[in-house]
Amino acid sequence: MQNTFIAKNPSVLWFLLGLSIFTVVVSILSEAAGTAFISTSFLKTLGKTLCLCLVAIAMDVVWGYCGILSLGHFAFFGIGGYAIGMWLMYDRTKDIVVSSLENNILPPTPEEITTAIGTQIFGVVGSTDFPVIWAFSHSLSLQLLAVVFVPGVLALVFGWLAFRSRVTGVYLSILTQAMTLALSLYFFQNDSGLRGNNGLSGLQNIPGLEAVSQATLSLWFFWASASALGAGYLLFAWMTSGKFGSVIRAIRDNEARVRFLGYHVESYKLFIFTITAMVAGVAGALYYPQAGIINPAEIAPIASIYLVVWVAIGGRGRLYGAVIGAAVVSLMSSWFTGGSAPDINLGIYTVKWTDWWLVLLGVTFVAVTLFFPKGIGGLFDLLARKEKQS
Amino acid sequence: MRFALIALILTICSAPAATAQNLQSILQTFTTEIAKPSRGTVGDTLDAIAASGLPQATPFLEQWSEKNVWQRNDGMFFIGLASGDTLALTDIDTQAISTAQKSDFKQLKPNGGVRRLIGTALVQFQLIDPDVSRRTTAVASIARRPEAAQLAPLLASIDPEVDASLKARKIQLANFLTARFAGGPVDRIAAIDSLSTDTSVEARAVLNLILTTTSGVASAQPTGNIAAILDPLDAPIVSYFALVDAGLAVAKQTPADIKRALEANIIDGRIAGFPLAQMDNAKTREAAYAALVDDGMVPTLITDTLRDATLTDHIFYELYDEPNATITAAAISALAAVDTRVATAKIADLTLDALSLASIFFLAAIGLAITFGVMGVINMAHGEFIMMGAYTGFVVQTFVSNYTVSLIIALPLAFAVTFGAGVVMERLVIRRLYHRPLETLLATFGISIALQQLAKNIFGTQARPLTSPDWLAGAWVFNDVIQISYIRIAIFVLALMFLCLIIHILKRTRLGLEVRAVTQNPGMASSMGIDPDRINMMTFGLGSGIAGIAGVAIGLYAKVTSEMGSDYIVQSFMTVVVGGVGNVWGTLAGAAMIGFGQKGIEWLNPSNTLAAQTYMILFVILFIQFRPKGIVALKGRAAGD
Repeated sequence: MQNTFIAKNPSVLWFLLGLSIFTVVVSILSEAAGTAFISTSFLKTLGKTLCLCLVAIAMDVVWGYCGILSLGHFAFFGIGGYAIGMWLMYDRTKDIVVSSLENNILPPTPEEITTAIGTQIFGVVGSTDFPVIWAFSHSLSLQLLAVVFVPGVLALVFGWLAFRSRVTGVYLSILTQAMTLALSLYFFQNDSGLRGNNGLSGLQNIPGLEAVSQATLSLWFFWASASALGAGYLLFAWMTSGKFGSVIRAIRDNEARVRFLGYHVESYKLFIFTITAMVAGVAGALYYPQAGIINPAEIAPIASIYLVVWVAIGGRGRLYGAVIGAAVVSLMSSWFTGGSAPDINLGIYTVKWTDWWLVLLGVTFVAVTLFFPKGIGGLFDLLARKEKQS
Repeated sequence: MRFALIALILTICSAPAATAQNLQSILQTFTTEIAKPSRGTVGDTLDAIAASGLPQATPFLEQWSEKNVWQRNDGMFFIGLASGDTLALTDIDTQAISTAQKSDFKQLKPNGGVRRLIGTALVQFQLIDPDVSRRTTAVASIARRPEAAQLAPLLASIDPEVDASLKARKIQLANFLTARFAGGPVDRIAAIDSLSTDTSVEARAVLNLILTTTSGVASAQPTGNIAAILDPLDAPIVSYFALVDAGLAVAKQTPADIKRALEANIIDGRIAGFPLAQMDNAKTREAAYAALVDDGMVPTLITDTLRDATLTDHIFYELYDEPNATITAAAISALAAVDTRVATAKIADLTLDALSLASIFFLAAIGLAITFGVMGVINMAHGEFIMMGAYTGFVVQTFVSNYTVSLIIALPLAFAVTFGAGVVMERLVIRRLYHRPLETLLATFGISIALQQLAKNIFGTQARPLTSPDWLAGAWVFNDVIQISYIRIAIFVLALMFLCLIIHILKRTRLGLEVRAVTQNPGMASSMGIDPDRINMMTFGLGSGIAGIAGVAIGLYAKVTSEMGSDYIVQSFMTVVVGGVGNVWGTLAGAAMIGFGQKGIEWLNPSNTLAAQTYMILFVILFIQFRPKGIVALKGRAAGD
């Protein structure tokens, strides 16, 4: 019993238990269950938050465990979203086009259907032809593979180039940020074939499931997100425990020493970088159908920085810390910037939270970095120590 | 008529007002032609009026063309302005003013063609008008709408011209006109050859006009000055359209036409025997159409093969409008020479652009290079310091209305403000994180987020203008190709000044000595009595202060927004990383490389700056693979690792 995975990672059981209870409670209170204590839009917010938690634990593994401060993981998240969005948009547009062409005297040819879909999708950027990257958009299974493998291959190539030439520390961070900027600039172009700054929209409508209400769909996506988060948590907890986990933590603490001990540091880093990018892609693919729209602004460099902020505030180097950070900060962000937070009247000046939330977040982040490097997760250490003392 | 004009110009020049006639009597000899002018008959009248050389001819022609000339019942002409029923009349010769009943007069309304001829006749008077502004207007009107008839008067007006610049312009314009309209091919070719050194847009337009072509299609080789014989199969669809337009072929059916034809021939749910449900692919549709053709219901389908066969049976050609082949040949070689010159000039212009972009990158990055190089500290809030400097300039401008003065105040003030901000940040945050560089990155992120939002709260989200003084407005124009705005020159000069200043500080001052000592070995430096904390603080302040000045400079040509910092931060970091950390020359090399690289990519792929930025970033990422330490790498212990 001493050496089993669970015994070494007691947090996993607690986390899975908490997640299950949370999922069950939310399901019971949702509109689909009939009680409707939680509105569908809030259910979507919760589902999206779970996806953000998933990308946050991926970020935590790559940064908190392996010491690679990647400023590009939200770009992988976005690519996952685009990959699934292409299928959603293609298939739904196809349904619409086919039903509108049904009234024609002659049954439409495949070419006519393709042209009509192309006009529908790419009309906004002044084109009707399908770009090469949409070649697989007709197939759900191929696009699902793309969700995992496009971010994966991108991370593999980029990581191989970067780690091979021993780019580390802040240099690597800057380089990943440059990659993110290049990607978002590329997505912003009209001729990149991804509809420029219009992005992909109408993703909340799932083709073939038109009969299912949005309330039910949201619940399904919530379940999917919760399962993905649970699975991701298990995967990463398993990866970071045991010998492999020790090696990557050692790389974080002293890369040169690990190399001298005979480990091939680059391979470990590349593996971690790639697998977390793939998980980020999955998280994005679950997030954007709930958000309904994706555009290049989502993957701008600042988004990846916020991801770092969540993990840092939650407490890096522990998976539950990342989950807490992402959940707390992203929910607070939407609460404060959504305008539902009460303004504070100081007599001479009214503090509007929509204006001041980012200032507060920035200052908090500085304070956390300076004084609480362990973040919110550090509180659990304090509790544990008190328990031991008593 | 051209010779008549030349003759009359000569008369005017040699002996103005030699005849004692008055204008009215000349006009009376042409009563019918003036009252009912047509393009064919008015020429003689104009020649006669011009030949008179009378000074009142010019105003008369002007008024005539503006429909202000009236004819009395007895045939006499007057300049008149109608108001209600009365006419305010001016006598054509004596300028005597009188009024009369409108009913006794008839207004002369020359048509557009006549008015153009009048205008041409007028130009020859205006070209030798004593008033220089009228002459300038006349020259400008010739430049706007050059015509063959203007050549002779223009040539004649060159010698008497007293204004030197106008004379040069007249000679240039006469050259253009000679190239296009002169009578003999020898004159034209000489003029065309002389244009081969002129890179102005006008000269190129003249050459291109000489080389205007008309494309056409025929079944046999056409006669004339052939510019090119085209292969119709290069663009078969377009060529076929031309063939159809020329009436040499039947239009090809579009898929929509075929569909319409099929739909029109549905009988009992079948088309030529094919059931409707089978019409969901192109193959059966074609088969059905072919069956309809066999039944004689629809015209034969023009397939791609048929179309191509028809195309190859015809000759597609481009014919020069200019019939003389030697002239077009001269124009082609002149244009080729001009194009070479223009290409050289474009490269020079591109170099200037790249230079100015590089100096902007240099200004934005040099502060960062100092803090990063000396202290190993990444300052993600550097972009926000740039923004702070730009907003300082904006605030100064709202208080000081004179733009020159406000700029002079803003530059040092921006330095002071950002220097102060940098020092405060160093003392409060960065000092605590010296041994954790990644944490500095994070903390400065936080500061950057907070500062950006603060700026948004204070100044709003809309862009604020930072107006440059008048002496910085406009551009320095070498010729029609090479020009550079004064602001960009100013930024270049500013960057150069800062390069010298920083090298001076680092290499020639006590502070610079201490900074270099701390950079190389902080422990040893402090044991030599240098206070590393003070040096770090000063360095950070200096780096931030330069960012502030860069902000003012950038704000002058770009809009000031709260997000302007984030536009420059990644580029600045790349400049530093590419150049090599901790070296001013490295930053210069990095800025030059990124500036020139970006402009170069923009040149290869114009109208897409986003793509240029994307590819430049990719290039930098690859570059780092081969020189991870940048262009100018530090060696020895200072390189650290």
